Amino acid sequence: MSVPPPIEVRGLRKLFRQTTSGQEVVAIERLDLTIAPREVVAIVGQTGCGKSTFFDLMIGLEAPTEGSISIGDKTPHGDFDHFRGRIATVFQQDRLLPWRSALDNAKLPLELIGIPEAEQRERALSWLKRLGLGHFINAFPHELSGGMRQRVAIARAFAVQPDILLADEAFGHLDEVTAAELRETFLALARECGSTAILITHQLEEAIGVGDRVVVFGKSAKLLADIHVAQWPKSKYALLREAIQSTLQSNKPDPRLKRLGVKPARKKKN
Amino acid sequence: MPHEELGASAPGLKFPRQTFISLLVFAIAWQALSYLAPSLGIPPFAVPSLVRIAKSIGTITPIDIAVTLARVIGALIASFLLGLALAMAMYNSETLEKYLHPIIRLFMAVPVVSWILFAVLWFPGVEFRIGFVLVVVCGPVFLVDTLDAMRSVPRELRHMMQSFRPTTLQYFIKLMLPAIVPTIFTSWKVNISLAIRVVTIAELVGAVTGIGHQLSVAQELFSVSDVFAWTIVLVALLFLLEAIVSRVETRLLRWRI
Repeated sequence: MSVPPPIEVRGLRKLFRQTTSGQEVVAIERLDLTIAPREVVAIVGQTGCGKSTFFDLMIGLEAPTEGSISIGDKTPHGDFDHFRGRIATVFQQDRLLPWRSALDNAKLPLELIGIPEAEQRERALSWLKRLGLGHFINAFPHELSGGMRQRVAIARAFAVQPDILLADEAFGHLDEVTAAELRETFLALARECGSTAILITHQLEEAIGVGDRVVVFGKSAKLLADIHVAQWPKSKYALLREAIQSTLQSNKPDPRLKRLGVKPARKKKN
Repeated sequence: MPHEELGASAPGLKFPRQTFISLLVFAIAWQALSYLAPSLGIPPFAVPSLVRIAKSIGTITPIDIAVTLARVIGALIASFLLGLALAMAMYNSETLEKYLHPIIRLFMAVPVVSWILFAVLWFPGVEFRIGFVLVVVCGPVFLVDTLDAMRSVPRELRHMMQSFRPTTLQYFIKLMLPAIVPTIFTSWKVNISLAIRVVTIAELVGAVTGIGHQLSVAQELFSVSDVFAWTIVLVALLFLLEAIVSRVETRLLRWRI
């Protein structure tokens, strides 16, 4: 598989205008971030910090107000069609189409990129089998459990073997055991496919457990910390968790992160 | 088992015991009234016996049934396609929706009889008149239902679909159309009933064929049994069409809980 292009976020700013009051709301103040090919990055932040806006901007469904997101030499919003089959998403809820069977749901992105029917079936089937759903390919979503539905959603995302995988609170609504199991599966598959993966979460354990890096967003997606988890011994994960928690609560980097050698967040470029 | 469950198990085609009994009681009461009519001062022809009605049913001309059925089905298909196309255009263009919405409301407010009179005054051809009335009455119902259904497609599903970057055509074929199918079936059932009633009035006024025309002939001949016979045919036609739609609905929407 080819190496996915790097992701460069430069001076990203996103404003929304409230429909009722007409007031402007700053969802993302100014964000600079670089994600290397095949990196697994977990983005953590409190509710309403701009994580989901960043997710929509990454998908390309929203245009930046200022600044840019570049994937290689293309932008996900400006070159929307270029990324068909190259970016795949897993959402908080499974978002399966209720009228399609598990197999047909997993086939959906393959149908959209127009590959032959036989290959669609073969690829979707193989991903469903790998995710333990070989006996449920003809089941409709309402016949599956929450965990099984999320597995179908993961199969749907991996079926196109995307360069970039985006997951927005993908395991947050599942019970702990199922979530941990799916998280591991997701990570293993992402590494195997060689995809760059960006996981948005509010769960610190999930972020530390999954990401090569943990990026901490403050209010309006202010970059508070950029932590390379691999450099940390597992014995210090509890301390790291506490420091991130404190960072999120105070909306400024916790001194312990600096002491422990965390790469400081870039200063704003004005 | 509760009554609802019995009905729900095979919509449209079951003939539950309760229905059979209520119809039987009604038939017995009718026969009794027919028998007692002269002694109650009611002219015998006004309440024909079941035997007389059965004889009238025996004289029914299938060609008139076929003509009415063809008019109803043809007009419903044309109305559906027109309603669907306009709904898709209005869903995609807010400006178009703002301009068309008042006209649709106006069309829906005009009584059916007025449309029939307009058709008689404006158009020379009988078939075109009937088709026009049916489309102008049923089309807006399809349009409004379809547009509402499109707007009700969950934002989460639309967002998911868009994230996979479909073309506009793929977006409609893979997401919007399947999502609105349940509403389309409901709309068809409503419109079948509406179309049967409208086509009867339209044929009554301006046609020389069809069930409406035969009802008009029966009325001129003071043949109440013939009126009953044709009415029974109309009701049976309505039930048959509804049963067919329900059967297709059950088959296509088996994914529903």
